[in-house]
Amino acid sequence: MGLLMLPDELLLTLTEQWPCREVQLKQLSAVLASAKPSPSALVVHGPHATGKSSIVKSYLESRSLQHAIIRCRECITGRHLLERTTAAVHESLTTEAASGDAEQYNGRCEDMSALVVHLERLLRGRGKFVLVFDGVDKQREASPTLLPALARLGEFVPNLTTVLIVQHPSPRFLHQAGVPHIHFSPYARNQSIRILSSNPPDIFVEPAPPELEYDEEVHEEDKAWLWPRFCAAVWDSLAQNAAKDLVPFRDVCNKLWRPFVAPIVKGEFGTRDFSRLLVNQRRLFQDETVLLDSILSVRIAQATTANHTSHELPYYTKWVLIAAYLASYNPAKLDALYFMKSTERKRRKKGGGTARSGGRPGQKRKVPRHLLAASQFTLDRLLSILQAILLHDFRSTIDVHSQIATLSGLRLLARSGGIGSNDPLELGGKWRVGAAVTWEYVQALARSLKFDLVDYIAE
Amino acid sequence: MEYEKCYAFEPESVRPAKRRKIESQGLHASWRARHEAYQKAWREQKQRIDAELSSINFSTVQELTTFLDEAAQSNSSEAIPTAILSTGPDTSSHTSVIQQLSRTQNAQARRVFISISATTGANLKALLKATIQKATSRNEGIDDEEDDSTFQRKGAKLLNYDLQILADYVREKRLQQVAIAIQDTEAFDSDLLSELIELLGCWLDRIPFAFLFTVATSLDVLQQRLSRGAIKCLKGQLFDVAPSEDEVERAFEAIANSSTSLWIGPELMSTALERQSDYIQSIDSFVGAAQYAYMSAYYGNALSIFLDSAIKASEVSADHFEALRNLDSFRDYCRGLLDNNAIIPLRALLDSDDSLFKVVGAELSRGGEALANVMIAVEVVRELQLWAQGSRATVPSKSKLYCQAMANKLAGSSLVRSLLLSTRKAPSDAAMRTLTAVMGVEIPKDLKQQCAKIKKELTEMVMNQPNIGQTLRSEDDIKNSTLRTTVVAQKVELSKQKSTLSKQDAAYTALLRRFTDLLEEYLNKTLIDPKSLLFHEIFLYDLKSPHRETFTPRPRHAIERALAAPHDYLDCSCCAPEQGDATLAASQPATAVLYQLYLESGSLINVSDLWQAFQAVLGDSEQTEEQQMALFLRALAEMRYLGLVKGTRKRADHIAKVAWKGL
Repeated sequence: MGLLMLPDELLLTLTEQWPCREVQLKQLSAVLASAKPSPSALVVHGPHATGKSSIVKSYLESRSLQHAIIRCRECITGRHLLERTTAAVHESLTTEAASGDAEQYNGRCEDMSALVVHLERLLRGRGKFVLVFDGVDKQREASPTLLPALARLGEFVPNLTTVLIVQHPSPRFLHQAGVPHIHFSPYARNQSIRILSSNPPDIFVEPAPPELEYDEEVHEEDKAWLWPRFCAAVWDSLAQNAAKDLVPFRDVCNKLWRPFVAPIVKGEFGTRDFSRLLVNQRRLFQDETVLLDSILSVRIAQATTANHTSHELPYYTKWVLIAAYLASYNPAKLDALYFMKSTERKRRKKGGGTARSGGRPGQKRKVPRHLLAASQFTLDRLLSILQAILLHDFRSTIDVHSQIATLSGLRLLARSGGIGSNDPLELGGKWRVGAAVTWEYVQALARSLKFDLVDYIAE
Repeated sequence: MEYEKCYAFEPESVRPAKRRKIESQGLHASWRARHEAYQKAWREQKQRIDAELSSINFSTVQELTTFLDEAAQSNSSEAIPTAILSTGPDTSSHTSVIQQLSRTQNAQARRVFISISATTGANLKALLKATIQKATSRNEGIDDEEDDSTFQRKGAKLLNYDLQILADYVREKRLQQVAIAIQDTEAFDSDLLSELIELLGCWLDRIPFAFLFTVATSLDVLQQRLSRGAIKCLKGQLFDVAPSEDEVERAFEAIANSSTSLWIGPELMSTALERQSDYIQSIDSFVGAAQYAYMSAYYGNALSIFLDSAIKASEVSADHFEALRNLDSFRDYCRGLLDNNAIIPLRALLDSDDSLFKVVGAELSRGGEALANVMIAVEVVRELQLWAQGSRATVPSKSKLYCQAMANKLAGSSLVRSLLLSTRKAPSDAAMRTLTAVMGVEIPKDLKQQCAKIKKELTEMVMNQPNIGQTLRSEDDIKNSTLRTTVVAQKVELSKQKSTLSKQDAAYTALLRRFTDLLEEYLNKTLIDPKSLLFHEIFLYDLKSPHRETFTPRPRHAIERALAAPHDYLDCSCCAPEQGDATLAASQPATAVLYQLYLESGSLINVSDLWQAFQAVLGDSEQTEEQQMALFLRALAEMRYLGLVKGTRKRADHIAKVAWKGL
């Protein structure tokens, strides 16, 4: 039993399990030690992927303390959190008692005071109990008093300790002084590499042929030699700036490992030729696309995009989108200049020859229009621009309107702004193009229609 | 019944036929028979179309099933397996894929299939509630052997958006997978979707989720919209459904089947096809257009009663025969008979309904056969095109060829001529392929025999040539002749020189000519003008206007026209435009007057000015000012109701113009 075990021995096993976290473990054991009384609240904080939740959990389990852990990410509302709390406490107590089919407990819990009543009833006459709220700062629909109230639970319920695991606590976020805090600092370079090197991946996926006399033992040694050096290289080149967290760092390392060792597998390099291999494979460490996440894994993406048939928008839908883009990015006052069929095209390109245009830069720096957000327009403006840019006669039917409906369903066109903008029957409602309709996208559309977009777009 | 507060109304299965005071007479009397004939004809057609369409995405459904099965087996709790279905803007195809998928699913695997859309819920709570409800309410039918006690969580009642309910349900029913299909990822709020994905990712260790996203735009767009955490939760694979052009082509092939009794003409078919490619249209609208064509043909054309092969002469009233005798094609036919001095059969046709009935039956089936032959000829042309151009992508679709052939624009066209010419230039291996392809089509027997003969000769020729393995070349190919320039007395002379072609090559050229002549003769004979067939008015339906008015109405144009030119609709003598040049008249409805004034003004209209102008138009009538004001106010209210004007905050006494004419 954990209680009989010497605390130092226990700490030793835990520190082996969680390297580089000795300080935090010692602090935890000081605060939560089972023999001594604990403070009513404890804040464990630190950035993402520093082992907060896992260490608290394994500490509690190893100490056989009575506890319940609530993952706040899974709770949809504040009330949901409270109900899950009672359910979790009840569950941990019944499994503790191991009394087979426990009696049903009505965990209905509408507000904080109900929770206090429930906890008092459940924990009456029990020993020390630790209640862990994991990620409680990210709780959805939490009331502003939730955190201070949770921190004070222990003042009402005897023998209860509340542990709040948060990422970045603001000062006085509990409206209470003297709550002990344990900080989980982010891992430094050496620490990250040390953690990762605890289980190096294989260099050779397939076992080596027997005549090479390359057995499993040598392989173990080789990979334990090569992997930390590789991780250090990844850290120096990519991760220290862009993937400092342990999880993205590990992902990047895993992503790059197979291409990195490919020459070794092919037999071009020995397993210990690290520096030559590094020079040979330096392109891997310069390519920053590995830092981006993708829904498709890289290997699959390459395989599928090859035989991927593209689905194109129908003919007039493309025109409608182009017209919408023009309506969004051309100022309305220039419409007569750009779309009147009678205006001379030459003039529209040159613009008015004012005194300003003589090479001297303007007073104001102008941002290119296509980099700004789309401005809004009325539907009639879209339709008239459509009529103007179409090269042939166009019979406007209900189909155009159904297309506009479809495009807004695809979020390529969006209703925007103003009171009552959700009402489709709103007179003269404003629209704008969706975020997915970029300059490049529209240019590609225009190219497929052989339409000279540049002639119509205002500078 | 008086004592009951409510009762279930159970209508009898067949409604008693209404007794009409006036029995329908004349051509209208056959309406019921035609209705039945239509139903029979369309049912057959619809079955063919459905069979074609359900087979088109079969492979995609198979792949999806395998993907989901593998995901259910692997049980990794790192990321949610996600199938991304790239469908294009067509909204119907993916619903059909998902339907097919869910149908195949429930049968075998222990899997629940839930499909949610953006309208399911506006926030996370509503979305989860609906998802859980959909998942847990399907317990019937999954397994009957278990006791049918309703599913209950032991312990306290949970909130209805708590995923614990689903987790318990999964454990209880030992489900292997909960597949969630999200049908319109674009319409979802980005934050909501990311949040949902992240939340479900948290539960992955207890509930084996799988996602099925349909993406109408592109995967990149979806990826940009999701949060980084959500992307990490997903492990995706891309799937494709057939593009909508393929679907249209398959549906077309089912419609233009040779066993059909009613043929859709080129004008109508090309209109429907064009609309399909010009606008976002699901395949349903194309099928709907075909159905509407059938309905209007059978309901509108009384003579379509003869299309039903089971009909007897005694069931057809005399009016129908009279109408038959008035058909243009029949008159031309009679003129032909008269010119050939075939007086007796002509007299019989004109006098006896029975003999006319026999001729109608025979001629209708002959016409159908002729059109089926046209289809086969179209197929031959298409094969030639495929082999002449090499790749399938550049070849125009069969439906386009059909429209050309039915409009009698294919026979002797430049397209066919250039095809035959390029065939004539082909080397022997290409010619062999073309021959085989043409013989693969259901061409008539004699043509097939002759083709087989040519093929046999060609094979012999290739085998017997001196250096085996070399292809025979055609004399007609320009590549095989060279131009020579000679200067004679300061004049340049060009002379064509056939490069050395062997004897076999010459024989081969002759053989190819025979083949192309044969084909040309066949095509010219088969590709007839459908309008020249006797009684083509019955079996060929080619009216564009009903289709146009039903499927592409112009409501805005109609309203604008009614207001700008009320005479077009009212047809009254008082506001006929001949009365004077001014289109504005006091006799027109007040709204129309106001609308025409509105058209003349700018984007902001002063109401007082408008009123004065209105008064000036109505001026000389004998209404009092109050009456005129009442008319004006009502007209203005109507304009507002129609969405033409609205109040503006810029100026209190102005209204803003919202709609412009002619858009």
